[in-house]
Amino acid sequence: MAVRLQFENNNEIGVFSKLTNKYCLVGIGGSENFYSTFEVELGETIPVVHASIAGCRIVGRLTVGNKNGLVVPNSTTDQELQHLRNSLPDSVKIQRVEERLSALGNVIACNDYVALVHPDLDKETEEVLSDTLGVEIFRQTVATNSLVGTYCVLNDQGGLVHPRTSLADQEELAALLQVPLVAGTVNRGSDVIGAGLVVNDFCAFCGSDTTSTELSVVESIFHLNDSKASRIGEQLRAPLIDNLA
Amino acid sequence: MALYNFKKIMVVPPAKDFIDIILSKTQRKTPTVVHKQYKISRIRSFYMRKVKFTQQNFHDRLSQIIQDFPKLDNVHPFYADLMNILYDKDHYKLALGQLNTARHLIDNVGKDYARLLKFGDTLYRCKQLKRAALGRMATIMKRQGPNLSYLESVRQHLARLPSIDPYTRTLILCGFPNVGKSSFINKITRADVEVQPYAFTTKSLYVGHMDYMYLRWQVIDTPGILDKPLEERNTIEMQAVTALAHLRACVIYMMDLSEQCGKTLEEQVKLFESIKPLFANKPLIIAFNKIDVTPLTALDDDRKQVLEQIMKENTVMEMSTLTEVGVMDIKQHACDKLLSSRVENKTRQNKTDGILNRLHVTEPAPRDQKARPPCIPEGALEFRKKRLAQLAAKKAEEEGESEEEDDNMEVEKKKTERDIELEEGDDYILNLKKRYDLPEEEKYDNIPEFWEGHNIADYIDPEIFYKFEALEKEEELREAAGMYAIPKMELDETMMEISKLAKKIREKKAILQDEARVNKSSTKAKLPRTAAAKDRNRSVSRLRSQMNEVGVEPSESENAHFKKANKRGRSATKSPVATKRMRADSEGRARSVSKTPRDEMGVKNPEMRLRLKDKAHKAIRKKVGKKGLKGEADRFIGTKMPKHLFVGKRGVGKTDRR
Repeated sequence: MAVRLQFENNNEIGVFSKLTNKYCLVGIGGSENFYSTFEVELGETIPVVHASIAGCRIVGRLTVGNKNGLVVPNSTTDQELQHLRNSLPDSVKIQRVEERLSALGNVIACNDYVALVHPDLDKETEEVLSDTLGVEIFRQTVATNSLVGTYCVLNDQGGLVHPRTSLADQEELAALLQVPLVAGTVNRGSDVIGAGLVVNDFCAFCGSDTTSTELSVVESIFHLNDSKASRIGEQLRAPLIDNLA
Repeated sequence: MALYNFKKIMVVPPAKDFIDIILSKTQRKTPTVVHKQYKISRIRSFYMRKVKFTQQNFHDRLSQIIQDFPKLDNVHPFYADLMNILYDKDHYKLALGQLNTARHLIDNVGKDYARLLKFGDTLYRCKQLKRAALGRMATIMKRQGPNLSYLESVRQHLARLPSIDPYTRTLILCGFPNVGKSSFINKITRADVEVQPYAFTTKSLYVGHMDYMYLRWQVIDTPGILDKPLEERNTIEMQAVTALAHLRACVIYMMDLSEQCGKTLEEQVKLFESIKPLFANKPLIIAFNKIDVTPLTALDDDRKQVLEQIMKENTVMEMSTLTEVGVMDIKQHACDKLLSSRVENKTRQNKTDGILNRLHVTEPAPRDQKARPPCIPEGALEFRKKRLAQLAAKKAEEEGESEEEDDNMEVEKKKTERDIELEEGDDYILNLKKRYDLPEEEKYDNIPEFWEGHNIADYIDPEIFYKFEALEKEEELREAAGMYAIPKMELDETMMEISKLAKKIREKKAILQDEARVNKSSTKAKLPRTAAAKDRNRSVSRLRSQMNEVGVEPSESENAHFKKANKRGRSATKSPVATKRMRADSEGRARSVSKTPRDEMGVKNPEMRLRLKDKAHKAIRKKVGKKGLKGEADRFIGTKMPKHLFVGKRGVGKTDRR
């Protein structure tokens, strides 16, 4: 099931939160509305953690993580690192990396098994990623865009990519990622999917501008609510065509 | 929807107000004072400015009106036709055209009089020319009175038109008056259209919206139409006809089987046949309404015969807006029909090519044998199910169907951070440590970021506990081995005595020390400040005499240190050391003076002196600043003899108070 929400009147919730199968990071905002939405939807299943990276609340764009670990940029302070260590379960490794492209969330898209990374990422970072997150790593672009984390969102059962990704590109990406892929948008036609959507294997959160068509595509491709990805081609076909064409 | 928004047209004032607005603006925004002794060029430009300004304002205001109103040729044909019916196209165009002409005329008047003003040779003539110009402009505007009031009424009506998007998914309801069109729209959307048991309750188009299939649908309720030739139709009916003619929508033709609407089935079928051309190329559903009164099966054979033809050719569905039987079926059927026709249309026009990637789910070709199952933590799915049930229950409750109240109670609500925040209000402070994955007693331990200039984080050792344990073990071993045991000392008789004595001495010393401390009650300085320095009188001769007194003969003292005193040279010829000038500044005096200076009289100590000095300094600064003096000693008097005090007659009063 996917939930619509806002962060302080901003629909780009993927900027302010990071959701994985083991934990959820939430930026520290002015009020607890945003945090509590996650809290209510996730309950006690996984810890929902207030976090900041280098004093910024854009935790979703600065960090990358999955059930095995969390990689944070060099700018993270020792205190923040300690806070994360104290809050996250012991099975989650936390690692700080020296990386020029410090918005790790924008340059890396990953699920629990594979990761797409920006073609210019450091070799060392790549090693850290595969050690910490336990993923296979592929240097790729999404719709000729090298910010793969911004334009692509994955979980273990599916992935949503930039709306202008060609079918051939999709095939290639799907073969690498080993999950079904579909091109789509969130937040009423926004192509920055990573900013408008956070997802794990059992739950998703979208910006509050997301239309019901977009929401149902998200639910289907990520297999939330027992819905199948094939729904997109069948039941959702007519609304999608009528909406988009 | 944003496409056609007529709500933003500016108000069109009546002619009289229009003129007043413009003229008062001229009065407010142009200079108002002119004198006849001014240079004639200045007078001319003064009036020319007024004329031009007025003309420009008329021009702008009229252009604004002309521009704001929609051009019938540019809007969607549906709106063009609707406006033609409601406001009469010719009248509308004429009104706007005349405003345009008026604008031209005013421009010309302005231009002419500006030219004439160049030849004005006196203030009076210039003024008369200006008056004439403004007067003529006002007259032109006055003649536009009827047009302006017509346009204002059009504006008001336009603003109240429902915002119909002619391109979106639309259902149109039509049929005879009183067959239940408005009841139907009230059932399927949240529109609140008036329903009354008489014909023509609905006199204009109404719009409602609903959600179906993840899409937003527009439902249009039209006024009822009667079966007569197009030319004879009135404005109310024509609105319905316009909607049917121009909107590519699904049409739901409503029929009243019970004939309660006052029209027989034959008439209803005849109307259907006569407006059939309007339904061409549109999905159509015929809805038999009021089946709670007369279901289709209850009709006698004659009537069935009447319906037979249209039942054969079209989709026919039954419903009752009263009991809501079949309402949703009709809605769904209509929507599906329209959607499929729209989709088919779009696919036929190859519009879907660009979005193929969004319709097609790319399945991965298996790369290896590795299984990549989803990692859903235990209880997550169960929790989701519970949460969904909770939401559903909440929704049901909101809709007023709270039958199973005890069911929702099973998922007890946990207190969220938001709840706590609301409860505590301004006192709320986010507690980051609350959810630490640490034992309760360690959670709130304060760890400083820096300690004695060291970053604590640099010294964090993940193995500290192992190391500590190892150390403790080692320590235990050592202790067991007796490393720290203090050997016991055996004391003999004499040592015992000595230690006893030593103890006594220490005690005595302590007592003496205490007593001395108590006796030293005076805090006064030991030496008075004025005491002369004590002459130490150290000299070789004195030493010698003293030694002799004691009975020591320092005979063999030729090379003794004290013999090596500096020899005195010829002191008399030495030039006297230049005595320093007496310093009486902040550092204090170098030499004593017999008389205390006035600023140091009654001053106890240097601190007090500094304080007083500071005070005095401030007082001086204040005075100097206030009076604008050059300094403390400034006694300057600007004018010794101010003229006004010394000149003129002196009657009552004093010379110095004038």
